Amino acid sequence: MPITHYLVLGALLFTIGGIGFLVRRNVLVTLMSIELMLNAVNLTLIAFNGAYPESHTGQMFAFFLIAAEAAEVAVGLAIVLALFRIRRTVRSDEADLLKN
Amino acid sequence: MKLLESLFPTNDFSLIAVILGMPLIGAFVNGIWGRRLGKPAVRLMALAAVGTSFIASLIAFLILDHAVQAAGHGHQRLYFTAWEWMHTNGGRAGSNVVIDARFSIDALNGVMMLIVTGVGFLIHLYASSYMENDPGFHKFFAYLNLFIFSMLVLILGDNLPVLFVGWEGVGLCSYLLIGFWYDHMPNAAAGKKAFIANRIGDFGLICAMFLLVHYTGALDWTGIQNNASILADNPADAYQIHVWPLGGGTYQGFFKFLQPAEPFTISAATAVGLALLLGCAGKSAQIPLYVWLPDAMAGPTPVSALIHAATMVTAGIYLVCRLSFVFVLSPFVMTVVLCVGAATALLAATIALVQTDIKKVLAYSTVSQLGFMFMGVGAGAFTAGFFHVLTHAFFKACLFLGAGSVIHAMHARIHDDDKAQDMRNMGGLKKYMPYTYWTFLVSTLAIAGCPLLSGFFSKDEILFRAFVNHATSPVAAKLAARHISVWQQPEWIGKAVYAVGVLTAAMTAFYMFRCFFMTFHGSFRGWAIGRGSLLSHPDHGDHAAASHAGHGDHDHGDHDEHGDHDDHGHHHEDLTVPGPAPHESPLPMTAPLIILATLAAVAGILNPAPFTHMLPLEHWLEPVFEDAVKVGVKVAENAEHLEYGLMVPGVLAFVVGLGLAWAVYFKAEGKPAKRWAEAAPGLHRAAYNKWYVDEFYEATVLSAVDALAETAAAFDQWFVDGILAKLSSLIVAALGTVLRTLQTGVVHVYAAAMVVGFVVISWFFVAPHAQASTESTPNGDYVVTAAPGMGYTYRWDADGNGEPDKPDFSEQSSVKVHLDPGKDVKVRLEVTNAFGRQATVEIPLSRPQAQNTMELGQN
Repeated sequence: MPITHYLVLGALLFTIGGIGFLVRRNVLVTLMSIELMLNAVNLTLIAFNGAYPESHTGQMFAFFLIAAEAAEVAVGLAIVLALFRIRRTVRSDEADLLKN
Repeated sequence: MKLLESLFPTNDFSLIAVILGMPLIGAFVNGIWGRRLGKPAVRLMALAAVGTSFIASLIAFLILDHAVQAAGHGHQRLYFTAWEWMHTNGGRAGSNVVIDARFSIDALNGVMMLIVTGVGFLIHLYASSYMENDPGFHKFFAYLNLFIFSMLVLILGDNLPVLFVGWEGVGLCSYLLIGFWYDHMPNAAAGKKAFIANRIGDFGLICAMFLLVHYTGALDWTGIQNNASILADNPADAYQIHVWPLGGGTYQGFFKFLQPAEPFTISAATAVGLALLLGCAGKSAQIPLYVWLPDAMAGPTPVSALIHAATMVTAGIYLVCRLSFVFVLSPFVMTVVLCVGAATALLAATIALVQTDIKKVLAYSTVSQLGFMFMGVGAGAFTAGFFHVLTHAFFKACLFLGAGSVIHAMHARIHDDDKAQDMRNMGGLKKYMPYTYWTFLVSTLAIAGCPLLSGFFSKDEILFRAFVNHATSPVAAKLAARHISVWQQPEWIGKAVYAVGVLTAAMTAFYMFRCFFMTFHGSFRGWAIGRGSLLSHPDHGDHAAASHAGHGDHDHGDHDEHGDHDDHGHHHEDLTVPGPAPHESPLPMTAPLIILATLAAVAGILNPAPFTHMLPLEHWLEPVFEDAVKVGVKVAENAEHLEYGLMVPGVLAFVVGLGLAWAVYFKAEGKPAKRWAEAAPGLHRAAYNKWYVDEFYEATVLSAVDALAETAAAFDQWFVDGILAKLSSLIVAALGTVLRTLQTGVVHVYAAAMVVGFVVISWFFVAPHAQASTESTPNGDYVVTAAPGMGYTYRWDADGNGEPDKPDFSEQSSVKVHLDPGKDVKVRLEVTNAFGRQATVEIPLSRPQAQNTMELGQN
């Protein structure tokens, strides 16, 4: 299978994640959209690694990304919990505490 | 004596450090820890500091005396160099100017030092009781000690800059002490007035210092003295100063008379002398800068005594004496000093005649007596002037402290300052305050010039000298040979000043006895005195603490009682209700009075000029002044015979003044004075209001300054605040308002902005940018360098033929082109980036035609 298929799928997933990030108001969905984008990137990296098997750079980057994702989600969920305690909502357009 | 001299070797006389250091330590300790130390410790510290300083002064004086005896006749100085301060190489006179923190004691400041520490100690002792109930007790003594320290620096300094340190120090301390009760507006204003008037004088002193170091190349006493003659001798034209009094501009039409055809030419000696005189007039309250001194009585009474009598105001006289050898070089300056002194003496005496505030009478009396001292030194009788400083220190300190004692008693019922100090509310205090009465009487007699008391001798000597002495220029003959004329003092000035002096002396006797009779004789006018209240008094010790707690002197007691200063104005008691009798002050206050009165009575024996030729003070001071007197003062030939004759008007002045005061204020209880005041109400009011001099200053100098200040304030308000500050803040605020709308706090807006930014930056990297910069050298080489970019490769068309130089893109990022003059070429650059996109730019290069053949030839 040519690498193009993987890349098109990755771009598709990234676009869906990006649009989801921009238009959805639920913070949890927003986080999931971010996950989708990151996984699209992971898929692209693995695809490159399959196309050039002599170097493991793609796989290494994918591992790093997974670790970063895990950390990001942990922090993101903690923020969402804290936000819910203060505002009783998980809608991101109501979370304007950073204003002023 | 041997022991003392072995302890304090005269070649490095470290005892001066003790004299100076003790008050400084006292000020430091009381200033820093005073609040926690408690009153007894503060009192001990302050008194011990000045007391030790006085004892050290006595020892130093003995050693100095011994040194003088050992050296025979001559000017002895004991030096102490604290540290090296400033050195410069090569003054105008070719000398090295050395300014060290150096102190010295000689005959003149040795006496002065004893007065300052001795009288200062007595005033400290007095104040320790007088200020008993003041919440700022420790602060007061810290200031007082600092004052003594500054004064000692002033008189013991061996050069002008060190003197100036002390000079400013006493100015500062007087400001702090006059405005001691700073929450009372007039007091704070008085402190400010003293400070500003003194600053004007200090300007003169600074100018004098610059002139002296410029012309004589020295600032220490010996150095100035050695080179002083150069100031008047005019060895070169550079030693003459040309003055256009109203500026060198050109005045047109009517104002032409303002512009003299020629500048006035004065000698350096005159310039230095006038500048010094301005400084001395500021410190010693002479016309036109005397206005601060009467207001200075707003401070606590011991401060008035200290400032008026013993220390600060005599600094000006001291400086004239110290630099007598400079003053005598210019007869003009001597005449000005003489006339300023006489005018001040007379003017202040006329004001003192009608004042009703006891401290104001004394304050104007001080100004008047300072005028006498200036008359003395202006006549070239420096010893006489200085002798009056000495005697005045005793009797004026005693008078002020006596007045303080009276005010202290008046505060038993009257808490308003103005009323408590008003002599119209006093009277008959003789019965209640015997110690104060007798000491006040002795001092009054002394200041009025009663024969055989100290004031008589000093004043008589001044008057006599003013009559017979005549200031002459020591170099007139020399300069006449070079066709330079010198202003000479007219003969009649001395006589006129003598007449003014006698008139002033009569007025002095009158107003002093007026004050005395109004305060101590007649019937008590303050309040009704209850039956038996004299007996019901507890003894003094308890008295001050118990029934008197809270109104020691001033309104400071009211701080304790009400905590609110404004309150004291409403704190009037009904004075018709019988109250306790006024009472004598406690021992720490009466003891200094007795000592000072004794000194005021007997100090005359130091220089009993008319009666004997044993003149200890004159003999003692002779080495200091002999050079100055020798060169610049001519004594009338028949002076010896005139001595007794000239004494008669002086004694008559005393008798007339006393007699008149007795007739008016004792016999008739002041009724004739009222009639006179009613007969000439305008004159009386003018004198009472100090001839409106303050108002005159207000209208002229101060209003001009105020107008300037208001303009500056308006400028600040409208231009600086209104335009510069408001406008710029408005711009920033507007910008902020715009930017604030971007800050929604909503995550999605930020995310969208991020995406937009990401797209823009991506586009920047994806699109290729063909840019190049050109450098040229004069010989026609042009180097075109393409701007770098990510993954860029370049293809050049350097020769301008439309075809690329090489068919492929390469890493070559610059080309070099040579052009002949007048030629031009279009270099084409093609860029392709990592995404394979291309961009093209054309850079036109042209070389201008050569201007001349030389350049061509070079090419």
